[in-house]
Amino acid sequence: MQIKDGNFSTRASEALADASLQKSVSNLKRGFVAARARAVAALPEYEAMREAGAAIKDHTLDNLDFYLERYEREVVRQGGHVHWAADADEACRIVRQICTRAGAKSVVKGKSMVSEEIGLNEALEADGLEVVESDAGEYIVQLAKEAPSHIVMPTVHKTTDDIADLFYKHHRAHGFDERETDPAELIGQVRSILRDKYFAADIGITGANFLVAETGSNIIVTNEGNGDLTSTLARVHIVTAGIEKVVPTLNDAAVLLRLLARSALGMEITSYTTLSTGPRRPGDADGPDEYHVVLIDNGRTKMLAGTFRPMLRCIRCGACMNHCPVYMSVGGHAYGWVYPGPMGAVLTPMIAGHEKASELPHACTLNGRCQQVCPVKIPLPDLLRRLRHDQWEAGFIKSKVRWGIGLWAWLATHPALYRVSTRIGVAVLRLFGKSSGRLTRLPFAGGWTAGRDMPAPQGTTFHAAWAKRNPQR
Amino acid sequence: MSESRRDDMLARIREAVGGNRRSEEDLAQLEKRLTQPSAAPRPRVSDDRLGQFIAKAEANLITVERIASLQMLVPAVRALLSQTSAPPDISVAPALEHLGWPADWHVNIGAGRRKEPMSVTMAVAGIAETGSIVMRSDPTSPTTLNFLPDVHVIVLRASDVVDYPEDAWARVRAGAPGWPRTVNIISGPSRTADVGGIIVRPAHGPKSVHLLLCHD
Ligand code: SF4
Repeated sequence: MQIKDGNFSTRASEALADASLQKSVSNLKRGFVAARARAVAALPEYEAMREAGAAIKDHTLDNLDFYLERYEREVVRQGGHVHWAADADEACRIVRQICTRAGAKSVVKGKSMVSEEIGLNEALEADGLEVVESDAGEYIVQLAKEAPSHIVMPTVHKTTDDIADLFYKHHRAHGFDERETDPAELIGQVRSILRDKYFAADIGITGANFLVAETGSNIIVTNEGNGDLTSTLARVHIVTAGIEKVVPTLNDAAVLLRLLARSALGMEITSYTTLSTGPRRPGDADGPDEYHVVLIDNGRTKMLAGTFRPMLRCIRCGACMNHCPVYMSVGGHAYGWVYPGPMGAVLTPMIAGHEKASELPHACTLNGRCQQVCPVKIPLPDLLRRLRHDQWEAGFIKSKVRWGIGLWAWLATHPALYRVSTRIGVAVLRLFGKSSGRLTRLPFAGGWTAGRDMPAPQGTTFHAAWAKRNPQR
Repeated sequence: MSESRRDDMLARIREAVGGNRRSEEDLAQLEKRLTQPSAAPRPRVSDDRLGQFIAKAEANLITVERIASLQMLVPAVRALLSQTSAPPDISVAPALEHLGWPADWHVNIGAGRRKEPMSVTMAVAGIAETGSIVMRSDPTSPTTLNFLPDVHVIVLRASDVVDYPEDAWARVRAGAPGWPRTVNIISGPSRTADVGGIIVRPAHGPKSVHLLLCHD
């Protein structure tokens, strides 16, 4: 996928002015955050499970070469093929070659973030292949020629009315003549259209939530059953996966699956967890004739080698964005690429390059919520700070951003002035936040607060409180 | 794929993690870890394993019915069908072919069909932790029967219910010829919330999942 032109600030201001986006995003906020909190509270073992999950990921990353080789050996033993792609172009070339050799005309896809990362749909369509996304959300954004705005809920920015219009326009070709607005009817149309596509598809492409070295399996989780039909009905099943997806054993995968469902959707488990291993066995009545896995590096080894290794623990649950005040205000499209929110603010500059995403590490208030909810304990704020530092050193930061940080840094290194300016700030903020303890309007900054909702400072500044408590100092 | 590209990529990964410095001892440890049971913390499962399994399955919107033996399977399926007026047209997994299906029904033995009102399949395990049902593909158990029907009827022996997925893998492995092409862990009907955040059932898979828990 192309990185969007323009910059984060422009897209963010546009998003803030979009009322329908704001409504969807606030629904998301209520739903996901509450569901996750309930799921976590119900489980006394949760903290220990997080520790265990992070430890499994760390151990695997520390020995990634070993586990990838073992995984490859097992896939081959089960009759599958493993392909190694150093970057996006190579990955696309490999998939295109598999399609050409299979004489393929049509491709059905299950949800795969990495396939969006490498721009796979565009590459296949350029070869004249029909490519259809099967996850209802991905299908909708593909039809609308948009990008997903959330890694778990791609359509969080679209209302039912938007989707009704979209289907009315495109589904007449399939015999659906009425404009339907009932979600069940709309999904029914997708079900009926995709049913034919699954059976007609030459190639089924899915991602992988995990690759298991022990058995050579790939694991996907879905609630719809789309990825599962995609893996089963096409003649050729291709799995696209980042190299960091491998885990040692099935039991390790079980630990991470517990964290994933709770963090992504606040559920104990999704409707379907499917393990695919090699092609169909002799005598099987269904399943693909060929099974291919494309292991994709695309910047990951670079992260593996340095300070950013912890980012490769990410299991793509989306919890960090659901709890991010910046993401919640501006939505996913403002981040301009496949991965939004805090994880995207780290991954995008690391994969696509600093020069293409210099603003993202600054779209963060360093409030630390993302790290608190991350199921594999990725220190996202630290990594973002580190990126800011690296960008600063490399001179990628725009003058305005530099100026803002510069002013803050200057104030912070002049304690007296810092105290005065923050004290004035607190007094003004308290005045306007009196009634609810929550500020939604600031004087002289209507446009700014329309897009922001900030807690009113309680009490006084830290400095003042400290002085009161320790009068001798 | 070119061999050298694979080797180059692996070499870079090895370099990044210091894999070249691994001793014989380290390697032995890694091998050992691959076969060791997991010591990771898990959610507690109640002493009443079967009770928890049923409660969790029902919370996942799987309907559960107990039958005394496999001989009760055909009558149980007939009772499910009698709610509709259409003449029975179902798919049955080859594993359950021998159970004496009525001659006047249309019974497809084999893989799922594009239009599939109902399928009847056999599970290899149930998981009490989450109320999930484990399906294993093999010549007698096609994967498409788990996803194409409107109504998915699954038979599971009560004695095959285990506490955790960690306990289910051995049951998956047990059937010949070893690890299967597909394992489906099913924890409810197919659903989506991609239109307006409203939950709709079904999405691409079954609208309902009915479990026949067999006690023989
Ligand atoms: S960074 Fe953590 S919270 Fe964010 S998507 Fe990845 S695993 Fe989930």
